Amino acid sequence: MSEILTIAEAARRIAIKQLSPVELTRAHLDRIRRLDPSLNAFLMVTEERALADARAAEERQMAGTLRGALDGIPIAHKDIYNTAGIRTTAHSRLLEHNVPARDAYTVKKWADAGAVMLGKLATHEFAFGGPSFDLPWPPARNPWNTEHFTAGSSSGTGAAVAAGLILGGTGSDTGGSIRGPAALCGIAGIKPTYGLSSRAGILPLAFTLDHAGPLAWTAEDCALLLQGMAGHDPEDPASANRPIPDFTNLLNQGVKGLRIGVVRHFFETDHRASDATRAGIDAAIDFFRKEGADVRDITLSPAADYHAVGYLIMITEAFTLHAPWMRERFNDYGELFRDRVALAATVSGPDMVQTARRRRVLCQEMAAAMDDLDIIVSASAPGEAPRIEDVTKWTNMEKPSFTMPFNVTGFPAISLCTGFGVGGLPIAMQLVGRPFTEPKLFQAAHAYETAMSWRARRPAMAD
Amino acid sequence: MSTALIDETELSAMLARHGLELTPEQVHAILPGATIFRRMIARVNAPLPREAEPALTFNVEQR
Repeated sequence: MSEILTIAEAARRIAIKQLSPVELTRAHLDRIRRLDPSLNAFLMVTEERALADARAAEERQMAGTLRGALDGIPIAHKDIYNTAGIRTTAHSRLLEHNVPARDAYTVKKWADAGAVMLGKLATHEFAFGGPSFDLPWPPARNPWNTEHFTAGSSSGTGAAVAAGLILGGTGSDTGGSIRGPAALCGIAGIKPTYGLSSRAGILPLAFTLDHAGPLAWTAEDCALLLQGMAGHDPEDPASANRPIPDFTNLLNQGVKGLRIGVVRHFFETDHRASDATRAGIDAAIDFFRKEGADVRDITLSPAADYHAVGYLIMITEAFTLHAPWMRERFNDYGELFRDRVALAATVSGPDMVQTARRRRVLCQEMAAAMDDLDIIVSASAPGEAPRIEDVTKWTNMEKPSFTMPFNVTGFPAISLCTGFGVGGLPIAMQLVGRPFTEPKLFQAAHAYETAMSWRARRPAMAD
Repeated sequence: MSTALIDETELSAMLARHGLELTPEQVHAILPGATIFRRMIARVNAPLPREAEPALTFNVEQR
């Protein structure tokens, strides 16, 4: 088979026995063999495990005991997710031979749902240091143009989904590491509400900013994947103990009556996005308005305030975790990770207390702004993917991030493709919801995606 | 709180205080980031009302 399916469509065909999980898996393994040498999306392909998973799914298919929408679906995991008996490296020399004894909570959840694991995916080193060329493995490349950046840190997942090597995969997001690759690779990726999906068994970067979530071709597929990930886990102290809703139950409700706020200053003045990115957001706003949503502009603190708070927390929490290794094995890290995290040495105790105080102020501000809103709209990325060699050690710190505000506050946020820029590469927007309102976020995202033509176009290399 | 630009001598001393004994070349490579980071530190240190509590206020019921 040469057609690349969505998870929703593959699940539908598997359910009615029109599609064999084993054939589907073999097709994806063939695509990996053919395309991944130019993408570097995979650090390890677990072919034997994948075929065993697929055969088990096919037995359930034949027996009429399928476990749900993820049964028989080819997926892979960012290589900071622990996989029992399978190497988990964080793309780092420091963990080059690390083999965990247990699956991460989310890895086990997907496996229990019948997902077929194809392997482990490239990441920026420890979800922060990239794109790096001084690590044991090269950085992932963007399938829309392999000279260009995927964004990170879920770089392999972004590339693998866009190229159709997998139908979905895991990511983690501390400052934008799901939504950035989703934006630059032209796919969908959701950072759920902080606490909705467990971080247990995922190598941490910054405890109070880390989120686990999925990337896939569509928002609907992200909803299906998140359904298989979310849940209370006592091993994650931040895990929310609350009922998990059906993330697909509002998908076909349209946007009529939704109240949408646009944080225009984030992407027009605080950090001016490209013309195409701004035009894409304006076109989406027009769509929402025409479909009956109530849309208005809102004002928050400057994006630079959120950016500063997020970076201080991320770098100091990361240093707290890595200090012992950084003192003993500084040169075993890639230059980008170690130099960025070393900045924690310039921060004082009072600076961090002040950062925590400001974080609360920003959280309160955003919660108040969303009191009478369902969705916030902003940019996901400033524009199309830059050439990979033009991304410097400090590129992401220099200008305010569009994604970090929602790590600082923990609000759920999804990145969606809004078309293509002047260079022919994807552009994107970000939709944000109130905490634990993911169904509404998927509702708006699905309404937009299904009304646009962008999901019909794949990277040329994937055709 | 320090809003002044940072130089290599000061940066090297700060790194050393945190157990990172780096070569002058390594310190030099970190300096541009430290300058950007100083601006962020200055931004978070803008005054707040005295009663503003930290986001991670101690929770007596935490498990």
